[in-house]
Amino acid sequence: MSQPPLPTPVLEPQEPPRGLGTFRAGERLQGLFFIAPALVVLGIFLVYPAYYTVRLAFYQGDFLYRFSNFLGLDNFKELLTDDPSFLDLSSFPPSGALVNNFRWVIFYIALSLAFGLGLAVLAVRVRYERVVKSIIFVPMAISATAVGLIWLFVYSPDLDNGILNAVIHGVDHGFDPIAWVGRPSTVNYALIFAYVWASTGFVMVVLSAAIKGIPTEIIEASRVDGAGEWAIFRRIMVPMLSLPIAVVTVWLFINVIKVFDIIYVMTGGGPGTSSRVIAYTMYKETFENGRGGYGAAVAVLMLLLVLPVMVLNVRRFRSERVTT
Amino acid sequence: MKRRSWLVLLAVAVGLGLISTVLAGASYGRTAVPQTKKAGTINVLSLWGGSEKSAFLKVTDAFTAKTGIKIEYETARDFIPAIRTRLAAGNPPDVAIVPRPGYLASLAREGAFKDLRPLGFTPAYMKARYTSGWTSLGTVGGKLYGLAVKANSKSVIWYKPDSFAKYKFKVPKTWAQLIALTKAYKAKGLTPWGLGCGPGPSSWTLTDWFENIYARTAGPAKYDRLFAGKLKFTDASVLNALKLMTSILNNKYIAGGGVQGALGRTFVSGIGQVFGPNAKAQLYMEGGFVGGIALDQVNTKLKPGKTIAFFPWPTITPKYDSPLVGGGDLAAAFKDNADIRSFLKYLSTPAAGAIWVSTGAVISPNKQTKSSAYPNLLVRAEAKQVASAKIFRFDGSDLMPGALGDTWGAALQNVIQKPGNAKKIMSDFQKEADKAY
Amino acid sequence: MATLEHAVPFKPLTVTERLLRFVTRTPVHIGLIGISIVWLVPTLGLGVTSFRPRDDIAASGWWHALTHWNWTTKNYSSVIHSAGMGHAFLNSVYITVPATVLPLTLGALAAFGFAWIRFPFRDTLFLAIVALMVIPIQTSLVPLLRLFKDWGHLNNGFVGIWLAHTAFGLPLAVFLLRNFFITLPKDLIEAARMDGASNLSIFRRIVVPLSVPALASFAIFQFLWVWNDLLMALIFISDPSKRPMTVQITYLLSTYGQEYNLLSAAAFLLMCLPLVVFFSLQRYFVQGLLAGSVKS
Repeated sequence: MSQPPLPTPVLEPQEPPRGLGTFRAGERLQGLFFIAPALVVLGIFLVYPAYYTVRLAFYQGDFLYRFSNFLGLDNFKELLTDDPSFLDLSSFPPSGALVNNFRWVIFYIALSLAFGLGLAVLAVRVRYERVVKSIIFVPMAISATAVGLIWLFVYSPDLDNGILNAVIHGVDHGFDPIAWVGRPSTVNYALIFAYVWASTGFVMVVLSAAIKGIPTEIIEASRVDGAGEWAIFRRIMVPMLSLPIAVVTVWLFINVIKVFDIIYVMTGGGPGTSSRVIAYTMYKETFENGRGGYGAAVAVLMLLLVLPVMVLNVRRFRSERVTT
Repeated sequence: MKRRSWLVLLAVAVGLGLISTVLAGASYGRTAVPQTKKAGTINVLSLWGGSEKSAFLKVTDAFTAKTGIKIEYETARDFIPAIRTRLAAGNPPDVAIVPRPGYLASLAREGAFKDLRPLGFTPAYMKARYTSGWTSLGTVGGKLYGLAVKANSKSVIWYKPDSFAKYKFKVPKTWAQLIALTKAYKAKGLTPWGLGCGPGPSSWTLTDWFENIYARTAGPAKYDRLFAGKLKFTDASVLNALKLMTSILNNKYIAGGGVQGALGRTFVSGIGQVFGPNAKAQLYMEGGFVGGIALDQVNTKLKPGKTIAFFPWPTITPKYDSPLVGGGDLAAAFKDNADIRSFLKYLSTPAAGAIWVSTGAVISPNKQTKSSAYPNLLVRAEAKQVASAKIFRFDGSDLMPGALGDTWGAALQNVIQKPGNAKKIMSDFQKEADKAY
Repeated sequence: MATLEHAVPFKPLTVTERLLRFVTRTPVHIGLIGISIVWLVPTLGLGVTSFRPRDDIAASGWWHALTHWNWTTKNYSSVIHSAGMGHAFLNSVYITVPATVLPLTLGALAAFGFAWIRFPFRDTLFLAIVALMVIPIQTSLVPLLRLFKDWGHLNNGFVGIWLAHTAFGLPLAVFLLRNFFITLPKDLIEAARMDGASNLSIFRRIVVPLSVPALASFAIFQFLWVWNDLLMALIFISDPSKRPMTVQITYLLSTYGQEYNLLSAAAFLLMCLPLVVFFSLQRYFVQGLLAGSVKS
């Protein structure tokens, strides 16, 4: 039970010096009680496993995933130089899971931003904006598994099921149906587009909210000055939206590093290994080949890739910190 | 005073943090009491679904009727990951029916399975029921881990007898005749071959193509060496076999979108291409089980012998004749108890074999199963083919350790798409193979 | 300051002006409506297919069903009973609810602590939690698998996956809720403190009731995340009878590879609850996403 507080002065109280003991007696313990359960859970089930995995990456690991056989950096060396399904620099263009994630980074982010921003900007002008937003946003609520199934169906090479092939065939009767997820040249883009379909809604909603915060006077003023819509878009809206766009891009980037479900459901990394991604490699090496240490090395790589985002988040938070 | 409480608080916070880490760390390695299961139940894990699953369930129903022990059958989409996660979780199934001796061997070497010999499966017991080929498949390092429970011939090509009758085609006996048949169909405006080898899980169809060709062009001895990891996949004999393979499996002769279409199609759909209600193709290469699947799942109106039949794989190099490439599933045990022993024993009886084969999809590796148990002429013919095979080889990709068989299938998928790249694809694959063997 | 949301024309447009505006707007309309249709079509296709009998699916494209009425619910009954999706649906519920309530509770408590109680290293700890938000679950799959086994086979039941989801949902919960709690009126809380209320009762009686929108936002976000999860369920649920729908569907995919009648019905079942949750509580879901991403 805390002691009765000291009477507060009429003037704005000074911020207590950081970190020194002017805390109210007992308050520290209270604080601890509130955060302790969360910290314990995080410590045991999030932080410790991350440490375990990082450590395991330096071992071979047996079928029970214990630390057996110290290998030093061998797992990492093999991953980056000796595993053509992960990274193959021997021919041009390079291929492998890591390269595929890179493709995802570029196309998934670009397309999601383009669609999301474009739709947000257009939809703001119509009265049925809410409806459009809902329609575009709905795929966000459904499981990546369901997204995968839906698009397997769309991409089916069977003209009676695959609407994509059917539509193209309807327009150009000489067109032979393509198995979009069956050929290495198209499979990644097919997968990327399916995921773009699911993620555009998020971009649209966030940017739409941000657009609404733009003051109309500026827009009206430039219209009066004779600026065309496109110029307004490029020179005014986009710069003013740069922060939300950056935030959305970061979110999309994290998605790319983590992407797994849709590949697991739609192609299993195939045909061959052409649609593999990092997260799928981790799954396959750890749980199919039983190579715990190698899979852990892949997980460590994923961790390294999100590290910049982690730093960014912490920095961003630091700059907007509020004390109470 | 305040300073001291602050220090106390710090100590408590650090202590809490330490405790949670120590707790987490110390617990790794502690073994806890495993969960008790209902007595009189066994879980069996395998990867069959559809008609293969219903066939197995008939067998287990008979077992339950006889002994009162219930069987809980579970499928796994990714068989190996399911086993590995359950092993690591301390919750493996009781019995697993493993489709590949390669998997069996890897897991056995890691110590996951129980040695069956002390459980009643003595050499004498095995000899009475299985040829040495089947017994040795389940033997790893001198110990017996797997019981062969069902088998299939993979050296068959399915065709439509009524179509042959219509065009006056004859069953081809040599490779040259097979190619001629392919071209003849094409000349009639019909793209002959159905193929379903993707995405992902169906790639093993291609491995069966390769194995049949390889056994017939490089001979059984090289076949053994290749799949035991003693011969490199970059060897000329391999490249030669791949060339023959792509001379049929290419955009000209595969129906429904050529190679790309096949890669987007599962093997059941491939069967459907030839035997389904909207059949567009004429010939399908896969094992004896195709008949069962075709009749059961794809098109119940098929008439064995009239609208669906198979002929054995033709010879390629005359001196190697026609070795039979076959597959089979092996039952292995993760644990040992009276119920499990009873079940495994049951699986090795001719009675079980008879029930299983009565479903028309499999043949029994058990010598004692009578041929009268086979329900239709398709499986009877297959059983005869297996029994009378002069040279028998087990499906090569299934012999590969661990999950290398899948990587092999993936490599073949790459080959049929870019036959010109075969050499590079094989050398990449060899890297993976080196790691696994 | 007038923003685009509140843009209001000051004078009514003449007929010509309105016509002109409509014409120049037409591409906008076409674009929006066109894209909306494209966005809807895939889901629509699957939905229609799920109501068609198997033979129809093999024989003609699903768009034909819109004109030739031949609908059946047989696919749904097959998939619910014989393919086990009904059971899997219950499993999904059974997994998702605790995995939402737990992080919500623990997160709210911790967020309150970070927002309204002062203790040493408060901000450092909070920064640490912010950093944890992006850790991929791949880093915890193997260690947790072992941990659950050693702690008494938590993989046999649901406890394991509840704990795993809780741990991964906590950083976001703490972050979102703390950011909301600090916007609560300081006077209210100070007044309660002066009246001698304990932190716990302040939390219970003041903060929680005022924070329902934020709590709802996180809850819905977490609910959808857990319901739609595949990888954690694949790894942490060993008992086949406890599989949630996401995993069960992948089994259908391998068994009945091309049987779109069953697959589509199953996929739609998987989608129906999230869609219901989403449509009825859309506002909160969006709020949750926005709060986590855009500076409020």
